[in-house]
Amino acid sequence: MKKTCLNILGLIAVLLSLAACNDFLDIQPVGKVMPHTAQEFRDLLTEAYSFVPTDRGKTVYRSDELVLNQATTTTEGLDSYLDIWRWQDGSEDETTESFNWRTFYYVSYIANTVIEQKDAITEATQEERNQLAGEAYMLRAYMHYILVNLYAEPYTHCDPATTKGIPLKLNSDVKAVLSRNTVAEVYASILSDIDTAEQLLNVETWGEGETYRFNKLSTDAFRARVYLYMGNWEQAYEYAKKVVDTHGELEDINASNTLPNHYQSVEAILSLEEVFPVEYQTNGQVNPNLISLYRSGDMRRSRFYRAETASITRVEKGGGNEFRCTFRTAEFYLTAAEAAMELNDMDNARHYLTELMKKRYAAVMYPRYEAEILAMTREELRQEIYDERFRELAFEGHRWFDLRRTTRPELTKTYNGETYVLQKDDPRYTLRIPPEAIEANPGLEEE
Amino acid sequence: MIRRIESTLLLLCFGILAAMAQTRTITGLILDKADNLPIIGATVSVMTPQGKVATGTTTDLDGKFRLDVPVADRQLTCRFMGYTTVTLNLKNGQTDYTVYMESASKEMGELVVTGYQQIDRRKLTSAVTTVKMSDEIIGGINSIDQALAGQIAGLSSVTSSGAPGAPVKLRIRGIASMNGTQEPLWVLDGIPLEGTEIPSMEDLQDIDNIYQTSIAGINPQDIESITVLKDAAATAIYGARAANGVIVITTKNGKVGKPQINFSMKLTYNPKTDIDRLNLLNSDEKVDLELGLLQSDYTYRENKGDVARILAGYGLTDAYKTGGWNALTPEAQADINALRDINTDWNDILFRDVFNQEYNVSLSGGSEKATYYSALGYYVEQGNVEGVKNDRFNLTLKTNYRINSKLKVGASVFANRRKQRSYLTYGDGFTNPVYYSRIANSYLRPFDENGNYIYDVNVQHSKGDDVADFNIFEERANTSNINTTTSVMSIFDAELKLDEHFKITSQFGLQWDEGTIEKYAGENSYAMRREKEQHVYAYSDGTRTILPDGGSNKITDSHQTQWTWKAMAEYQNRFKDIHDLELMVGTEIRHNEYKSLYSAVYGYNAMTLTSVPIVFPTERMAESVPLHTETFTENAFASWFATGSYTLLHRYTIGGSIRLDGSDIFGVAKKYRYLPLYSVSGLWRISDEPFMKNVTAIDNWGIRASYGLQGNIDKNTSPYLLGRYVQTTILPDHPEDAIRPDNAPNPDLRWEKTQNVNIGMDISLWDNAVSLNVDYYYRKGTDLIGMRMLPLETGYTSTNVNWASMENKGVEVALTTRNIHTKDFTWFTNLNFGFNDNTVLRETVAENSLTPSREGYPVGAIFAYRTAGLDENGYLLYLTPDGQKLPAKEYFQLNSAGASSLSAEERRNQLVYVGNTEPKVSGGFTNTFKYQRITLNINCIFNFGMHVQTQPSYSLTNYDRGLNTNHDILNRWTPDNPNGTFPRLLNSTDRPEEYAFYDNYNVLSMLDIYVKKQNYFRFQSIRLAYDLPEKWLKPIGIRNASVSLEGRDLWVIASDYHNFLDPETMGNPYATPIPKSFIFGLNVNF
Repeated sequence: MKKTCLNILGLIAVLLSLAACNDFLDIQPVGKVMPHTAQEFRDLLTEAYSFVPTDRGKTVYRSDELVLNQATTTTEGLDSYLDIWRWQDGSEDETTESFNWRTFYYVSYIANTVIEQKDAITEATQEERNQLAGEAYMLRAYMHYILVNLYAEPYTHCDPATTKGIPLKLNSDVKAVLSRNTVAEVYASILSDIDTAEQLLNVETWGEGETYRFNKLSTDAFRARVYLYMGNWEQAYEYAKKVVDTHGELEDINASNTLPNHYQSVEAILSLEEVFPVEYQTNGQVNPNLISLYRSGDMRRSRFYRAETASITRVEKGGGNEFRCTFRTAEFYLTAAEAAMELNDMDNARHYLTELMKKRYAAVMYPRYEAEILAMTREELRQEIYDERFRELAFEGHRWFDLRRTTRPELTKTYNGETYVLQKDDPRYTLRIPPEAIEANPGLEEE
Repeated sequence: MIRRIESTLLLLCFGILAAMAQTRTITGLILDKADNLPIIGATVSVMTPQGKVATGTTTDLDGKFRLDVPVADRQLTCRFMGYTTVTLNLKNGQTDYTVYMESASKEMGELVVTGYQQIDRRKLTSAVTTVKMSDEIIGGINSIDQALAGQIAGLSSVTSSGAPGAPVKLRIRGIASMNGTQEPLWVLDGIPLEGTEIPSMEDLQDIDNIYQTSIAGINPQDIESITVLKDAAATAIYGARAANGVIVITTKNGKVGKPQINFSMKLTYNPKTDIDRLNLLNSDEKVDLELGLLQSDYTYRENKGDVARILAGYGLTDAYKTGGWNALTPEAQADINALRDINTDWNDILFRDVFNQEYNVSLSGGSEKATYYSALGYYVEQGNVEGVKNDRFNLTLKTNYRINSKLKVGASVFANRRKQRSYLTYGDGFTNPVYYSRIANSYLRPFDENGNYIYDVNVQHSKGDDVADFNIFEERANTSNINTTTSVMSIFDAELKLDEHFKITSQFGLQWDEGTIEKYAGENSYAMRREKEQHVYAYSDGTRTILPDGGSNKITDSHQTQWTWKAMAEYQNRFKDIHDLELMVGTEIRHNEYKSLYSAVYGYNAMTLTSVPIVFPTERMAESVPLHTETFTENAFASWFATGSYTLLHRYTIGGSIRLDGSDIFGVAKKYRYLPLYSVSGLWRISDEPFMKNVTAIDNWGIRASYGLQGNIDKNTSPYLLGRYVQTTILPDHPEDAIRPDNAPNPDLRWEKTQNVNIGMDISLWDNAVSLNVDYYYRKGTDLIGMRMLPLETGYTSTNVNWASMENKGVEVALTTRNIHTKDFTWFTNLNFGFNDNTVLRETVAENSLTPSREGYPVGAIFAYRTAGLDENGYLLYLTPDGQKLPAKEYFQLNSAGASSLSAEERRNQLVYVGNTEPKVSGGFTNTFKYQRITLNINCIFNFGMHVQTQPSYSLTNYDRGLNTNHDILNRWTPDNPNGTFPRLLNSTDRPEEYAFYDNYNVLSMLDIYVKKQNYFRFQSIRLAYDLPEKWLKPIGIRNASVSLEGRDLWVIASDYHNFLDPETMGNPYATPIPKSFIFGLNVNF
């Protein structure tokens, strides 16, 4: 009997300690969180924004914007970028920087999570939920847009319906093994995401320091660019015009101290990608051919570049996060001009081009160039628009993509006495999918 | 192992029959033969011819006895539990005797300490091995993890590195789980220790990461015994943490009796390692190699190497390429030939012979009311690499009080402070001196004629490192890396015995570990130059570093605290003398905290302790040089457990245990919080059966069986998206919080479960002359958690999934024999080995996986591509299943980008199984010889049936000619050496697809030619000890003393380890090789 009593006593003691344990085990870990609220999902999206790769900027090495040489490029610059610059694909030195793959999808993963959990977000108004999801759709579309332009043949030079593009990642499932969608499918998905985002986004302008986030206007800007890359001139013209109509003010380089790609410039629409980070400034020289493309009276030559010595010219429109820039107004003047020209609407083509030129050339010189533009044939004007695009948007991550979608010309580079040639329509205009991605998913390379 | 028990009940009879006959008084002293300490409470008796006690007494606190013995009796019998009975022949005229008694077994006595309970060995149903610490086992080692090597069947040990204080990897019964830790749980006097995990092999390659586990803080001299719990019946009570087995440490207690003072000292000599085995190129060979390569079509890093540099200096590079040696000017020829005459022996100047010391002193004793044990210890170990040192200071205080007949309390404190010193090796592999000695060219001098440093410009090769000057001696002089740990463990326990059946015990343990890692880099060091180079900014007046002049000092402070409290109620009773019942229920709560703080200063001057603030030009630059980082984690656990056993007729025992663990683990689904772990077991003691009564040869014979369930859950993978807060600044002046999801969530993750069956037999024969333990075990793990590589399109590289089921089958044998036992000479042999067979039963291989399923193969399976020699141009050929020999392009179907266009499945099918990384058989073999006062101990360990994937001697596309290498490269195919057996170096033009393939994809290390067998038999320790005669010691007040001489790791017999220093460390070229050592020891008792 005594034994039973003691056992019961013991049992009671154990049960009591069980009850007391719930509080003991209830530890909220410091610094860890499972997102539920609008603020937490905003913080999650901030993570995604901060990881948006700057690979569009890395293409400055690939294109004809920079010159690398032993005398002025830092060793680190040569180690990291020389083989990208001279198109040495497949036999790069192991120190060569690689273009991103996973990071694009990491951003998409967060975007997909936000999209899927949109309706479960707590402590939020419907507007806030919609805005978060809208930005997530835009982020996902933008990641797919850069990937397809780095790793797939240009839409304008292939049969988009049959050419392999990149895998579309449209959910947060980590088990699925994807294969490559066609280029047409990728572009269709991008456009559809922008359409969805347009329904959801409701912030017109973000506050100081938050203009890296997608706003309502960015949907039209993004569409204009996507249609331009597809060679869909009507749509490119329509959306570029919409951007210019609502956000048409240009930075007057004659009067303003602010460079047009600065995040506080009047032209800024979306200040997301840090296209030209500080280390690029010491890694290469501005291509002299580009410098010579700026005619006398073009104020951009002295504002965009700084001659350090006779042989060293540095890029001034980058080198810090104040030059984050994804969409800015001038691009859409040029897109409108190019699209109008392709649609044979020469008046409007000239109109949009000269509107931009007014703000870029010294007032005394401008009339001369305006007269030249008015006298140009369509072919001459096309080249002029290409050149103006190069002059205006150099080092902002446009050049390589523009070369790809337009003529894919032959490029020549010289390093240490040796000449390297990228042939016209060279397959190296399309990057190889990084080996680590193929190793993790051999299906990307399967025939 | 279970010895015959000498019942102390005999004592009850003593004295009553006090002989009426004439008596004389015999006095004496009984000492333990092993340590010359008095044996207290030994029975001394006169036996009747029928074997009954006629008269007797017990020894007092000094081990002395006094007994009146009838004159007619000529013999006394001395007995003590756990010791071999001694018969003392009485001589005429002598009345004072000294008797030496010897421990009957090499193992511990009756009670087995499991950390929760003390179990009578006669009721023990589980697979448990206990090793009593002795001078032979401790020998020259300084840390207990090293002491266990080769001692216990089923416990394998692999030395990670020969560096001072480097941890040893211990595995009990093979690999049970792939996820997380495979380390056993360590328990010190009942309290599980934190901080015992060993970093992975990859982390150990970075010798910057000097590391010690909390095990390293325990002084082996303070340990009484170590018990290893192997099967589920023994470990289930420890819960999920014990899935890899449990090692229970029991420390020494004071013994009732006079104060004992023990002093011991060890002096160790470690000669420097000889690296001749590496077969490195000498200057002559290296110059010829460089000359040859410059004329070949191999262009990788053509400007590296001193030959290329001399030629470039004379502007003769092109002349040489076209015209050869004769196209060079005499000056250039002379300069190149001068290189041949320099033969720097890097081994000689980088490594050294060292002399190490260890001292211990302990004081112990006590009375019936209280006992005490206190000890001080100090040891210092210098590495063969100069500037590397490890020392430890130990303080141990233990007291036990018997307050009254019901209550006992104890308190103990284990404190230690240890310091590891090394120098900074930065992240670059070449700054590691062991690795550097292998890649530095012997034609390079470290100093010029004036003693100034000559910088090595050849070894540097990673991004940007070649702009910073590097000299290994300068690095050693101007940097330091010091890891200081102060650790205090304190344990309080109380036992309240309510009556003879019911007992309540409670224990509280507190562990504090405070660590500081201080990494200093002086201004004149590569580490500092390199860091400055990494943080440059284009200022308006030029590009330069943002870091101020001077050095840097980076300090990481960590604080780890855990406390454990447990309370148990035990009930035991015997009914009708045949039913034994034992029950125990208990609860345990545990809480731990880890906090770390990192702080860095630049412009640091070690002499003045001043530093210079950094003026950051931009936020982005500031983010790249973090100056302050903090982490904090906290966890709590609560558990309930119960065990019970029932024994019938003293020979049939059944037992069981169950445990429920609860924890705070955040983000784990509720349904996965609890999994009850349990075991059932039984024992049949055949030797106690009536029918065995007449079989006198068998002292003990028992059969055990157990079944149990163990489990584990991955704490890092949550079913929900789980993030941590970070700070980010996207646009200027606008810092924001962000949430970073480090791991991909996996809602499907389940507990991994391991079922465990153990069948064992223990037998001892002929008065313990032979004792044999055999265990068979079968462990089946299901839903095992493992890391799987994810397609990068998921946004992640890997996640944890329930990937497989696997079984481990094995047999463990421990055989102890007393081969010869005479008065002067004894010879004991202990052979133990474990045979483990691991098979993966099911493995779901991801669609994207390039490595095949291990189904039907061991979990450590190595798969490799079958090669078939070289083609006529020196390219590797691959063997297809139908015997064809194909070049890489066809075999892998390479496209123009050098990527294989085969499907993942086809790639998987190309890989064939070539071996297992885990040993098939591992064990130890120990022989102890005693001749009078001399003891010789030979301790060997062995591992058979292992394979290792070694690093290829040279890369086909990226062999850097600036580095030294082994002779394999001279044996490669070249047009002049068409019979070379190793593949040619490749250029990017001849076969661009193959070049790109080898360059971009990690295939070379997966070839069958680089998989090596790893079988070895190591003479771990040979030790000769001599007990000094008492007649020398007595006059100077010493009770006893011994001296010893030991050689450790002197020889190893192994399968081919050509080009490697040691068969054990073949896989890791960065590891300090295991040094030979010679140890002199002195042990004195006052």
